[in-house]
Amino acid sequence: MDDSSGRKFQKDLNGGLVGLVLLAILNQSTEDLYGYEIAKRLASANEGVSIFKEGTIYPVLRALSAANLLTSRIVPSYSGPPRRYYRITDPGRAVLKEWTAIWAGTRDFVDRFIDKGPLP
Amino acid sequence: MSRSAPRSIDQYLRALREELAGEDAALIQDALYDAEEYLRAEVAAHPDKSESDVLELIASTYGAPDEVASAYRDTEAKVKAAMTTPRNIPKSRAGAFFGVFLDPRAYTSIFFMLLSLATGIIYFTFAVTGLALSAGLSVLVIGVPFFLVFVALTRVVSLAEGRLIEAMTGERMPRRPVHPNKRAGFWTRVGDMLKDWRTWTTLAYLILMLPFGIIYFIIAVVGLSVSLAFTFAPLVYFADHYGWFGLQGDVHWDPDWLNSMWAMPIMVLAGVLLLTSLMHLSRGIGRLHAMYAKTLLVAPAAPATLT
Repeated sequence: MDDSSGRKFQKDLNGGLVGLVLLAILNQSTEDLYGYEIAKRLASANEGVSIFKEGTIYPVLRALSAANLLTSRIVPSYSGPPRRYYRITDPGRAVLKEWTAIWAGTRDFVDRFIDKGPLP
Repeated sequence: MSRSAPRSIDQYLRALREELAGEDAALIQDALYDAEEYLRAEVAAHPDKSESDVLELIASTYGAPDEVASAYRDTEAKVKAAMTTPRNIPKSRAGAFFGVFLDPRAYTSIFFMLLSLATGIIYFTFAVTGLALSAGLSVLVIGVPFFLVFVALTRVVSLAEGRLIEAMTGERMPRRPVHPNKRAGFWTRVGDMLKDWRTWTTLAYLILMLPFGIIYFIIAVVGLSVSLAFTFAPLVYFADHYGWFGLQGDVHWDPDWLNSMWAMPIMVLAGVLLLTSLMHLSRGIGRLHAMYAKTLLVAPAAPATLT
């Protein structure tokens, strides 16, 4: 298995997972977070290397926001353009709960096949 | 990936813009804004490293321009698919004509037309006052800063108008403001602002919004009142005829035959047809206005404005 097929598999997996992880991070956080902060939290959770490319979380944040799962406000910043801070909404929490259940079910289902038997 | 990796924020943004060439201008503006927020924060977080050292690692953290570009394309396609409620378009000609009543865009467009008189007056006053004061104060020290603040405010107003138009007509408009090149010198930025044709087209849009607003408002109000009056004419006719409630003064239509009971179905039919036509007209105006607003308020996707 070469590197590119591994990357493609990871990318396919990430499709829906980015949204779930972002909702979970914002649900845990007691304060509002902006894109860069979220990206760094993702990276620090996995020894400095996020399994998502950090650039891919921004469009997902905007999509979640457009679907009313997140709200946002803009705060000026010294280092660059004004930052958009995100916070999870009540519909967002409901969706997170639903997605978490789906994820747990999927993970258990997949593990049932992968854990049993010797690896090829 | 084969291209040489960008070594500065400007190079990165230019590469990202190239990767997104052909996409919606509003999407490009958003993507560049997000990337700039991240890259500037990343550079600021590593004061010990030079910008090119930070950028060297960016492909493995933020992602290379082509990866980021494809993330925006994919997400945009998915969101568009998820947000558009599938409509079953009526097949028959009559179905297509009356189907407009099921289209939320027709209602929001009428609302936009009614609102446009108010926004038109506000924009016009704002733009004319700002321009006049800028011209008048230009001989004083505060003239230039005043003009800059005024132009900055136009951009905020332009973003807000874009959000309103996207909500009303569904046309994709920017979700982020335009971010000026912060590191350029003060006078360069002033020069850029004056040279940026979007500054002037935005001002033109704000001023022209008053005549447009007046026309839209008149169409909406006249159209709604005439068609609704026709549609509900029988109610008034019978109420008055049987004395359910008295109207001060008779309700009287001018061609005399309209005052008979038999003319009522014709009145209703005319009212409904007028109302339906108004819905079509409003939806069309909404679409045209969104295209027109996008031309004047959003920078084209050409890689010209980035220095």
